[in-house]
Amino acid sequence: MSDALSDDGSVNQDDSQEDVMTPAELIAKLEEAWLNEKFSPELQENKSEVVECVMEQLTHMEENLQRVKKGDAKASIHRMEIDRIRFVLSSYLRSRLQKIEKFFPHVLEKEKSRGEGDPSLLSPEEFAFAKEYYANTETYLKAVALKHMPPNLQTVDMLKAVPEPCLDSFVFLRVKEKQENILVEPETDDQREYVVDLEEGSQHLMRYRTIAPLVSTGAVQLI
Amino acid sequence: MFCEKAMELIRELQRSSEGQLPAFNEDGLRQVLQEMEALYEQNQTDVNEAKADGRADLIPSIKLRHCCLLRNQRCLTAYLYDRLLRIRALRWEYGSVLPANVRFHMCAEEVQWFSHYKKSLASFMRSLGGAEGLDITQDMKPPKSLYIQVRCLKDHGELEIDDGTVILLKKNSQHFLPRWKCEQLIRQGVLEHVMS
Amino acid sequence: MDTQSYLPVQPGVGMEENFLSLDDILLSHERLPIRTECSFPRLGFLDKSSDSQDIPEGTKMELPLWLSKGLYEKKRRVLSVELPKVYREGWRTVFNADPNVVDLHKMGPYYYGLGSQMLHFDSPENPEIAQTLLQTFMGRFRRNMDSSQNAYNEDTSALVERLDCLEKALFSSGQSGLNSFQSWEKGRASQLTASSLVLNYRKRKINDIQP
Repeated sequence: MSDALSDDGSVNQDDSQEDVMTPAELIAKLEEAWLNEKFSPELQENKSEVVECVMEQLTHMEENLQRVKKGDAKASIHRMEIDRIRFVLSSYLRSRLQKIEKFFPHVLEKEKSRGEGDPSLLSPEEFAFAKEYYANTETYLKAVALKHMPPNLQTVDMLKAVPEPCLDSFVFLRVKEKQENILVEPETDDQREYVVDLEEGSQHLMRYRTIAPLVSTGAVQLI
Repeated sequence: MFCEKAMELIRELQRSSEGQLPAFNEDGLRQVLQEMEALYEQNQTDVNEAKADGRADLIPSIKLRHCCLLRNQRCLTAYLYDRLLRIRALRWEYGSVLPANVRFHMCAEEVQWFSHYKKSLASFMRSLGGAEGLDITQDMKPPKSLYIQVRCLKDHGELEIDDGTVILLKKNSQHFLPRWKCEQLIRQGVLEHVMS
Repeated sequence: MDTQSYLPVQPGVGMEENFLSLDDILLSHERLPIRTECSFPRLGFLDKSSDSQDIPEGTKMELPLWLSKGLYEKKRRVLSVELPKVYREGWRTVFNADPNVVDLHKMGPYYYGLGSQMLHFDSPENPEIAQTLLQTFMGRFRRNMDSSQNAYNEDTSALVERLDCLEKALFSSGQSGLNSFQSWEKGRASQLTASSLVLNYRKRKINDIQP
């Protein structure tokens, strides 16, 4: 990751700006990503810079802890803090992996059709995992059943077989930046579409599809 | 009616609640594949006859058999896929080594799938940075305390804790241990978390 | 909480079926009354009531939903699908009068699922069927939700017995929410527990030993 970034001076500068983030800000970023991932029906963009920084932070804290004397009350508070951060990080990565497994053909398809400049949905490690999961599962189905079937039935289109994320599910959200004129689709045939303004700090229950772009820009937070 | 055998496989999974893995039904699988072969052959015969003798009246029957072929394909794929989801769960609940009685329920290809899955997951977790990566199959619940009181439900031998101390996990003994060290043993039913 | 690791493929929403969903496969195995609109040569053995070699045109028989759906065509009539009793006008009147008194398990157990699937077949009664499904669901939902949120540590089997599959799933998700809330209130949410998978395997082992 850092190698790829250092090829380009300007990106590197952005990168060093990111580095100015305080640990508290970093953890806030992790928590934000964690809640969004936990409550959204589809996979969010990867935040591998945050994951990397938090991992570094954890290693750093562990090292500091080694130097503290045994029995120091401060040590157990730090230890607890480490455990809590590790929980959030693990839970975040778990939610992502769960969705990657659940939607693997669609996740890979989205990654394939992604424009060159667009941010990647998957981290390189997740991408490797998803590809292996696909190949492993396909090989298995073929070996046990499909290859023994009549010639015209030996393939199953995984994109059609494995369900897509349901973007019409409803999510709770808190507004971080005021939004105007959000178009809400009708629920039933006898309703019509209408627009709402989302005030900063207000909370709503809405269809995920309606506010999905706002989640990725960070204008709203899923709760 | 056709496809009853395939339905039997699906019902078998539905009856094993909470994600338990029933024994791999090799016999059932073979019977469905045999039915598919018979359906396919009958259709080949009818298709040839329809073409050669202009017997368009055979088409509805050909179509019906084809629907049955697709149905069998769907049931078998769903049966196998659902089993994979159950096998996946085993990795998260038991850890990477499965007890013999569970492994016994898997066919050779499933064992292979499991070992590939295990490897992919391990290299993903290793790649997360730090010295040994991050084991994300741990920390399933938010931590409330560093140490917890546990009771041993069966003899498990020795356990080494971070500071190098070794303790003996003997049936019915109670210990005050780092939560992180116990999580998997509790999930496996070796230890029980005692709440005060 | 992400503690349950077995995540089965969910059934499809509305008229959709998910290819790999076990629930949808079971639902599509429900039988429908049909009438053949052409003959099916060499398949006479599928109709138990006759011993002719073919299924002649005009035969009334029952076929599973998946087969009816596969054979059904709007243009070239191969078969026509009749409405199962519970979706016909007589029963619709009963449902509309008081949806809470009907035993949807007995009438279903896939009352909503199969009803939604019926919309695939061009029946002139489709709008009324859809309306009744929706009204029935709404009429029962309040009671279903209340009881799932309030019956704590109670025997709910008599209640659940009369629910359709969809309602049953909603009921149990309400119950699991209630139970987690209660255990959180008692300060037990952080208790680490053995995996239910592990426990069940052990139970089975004991059952195997006992004669």
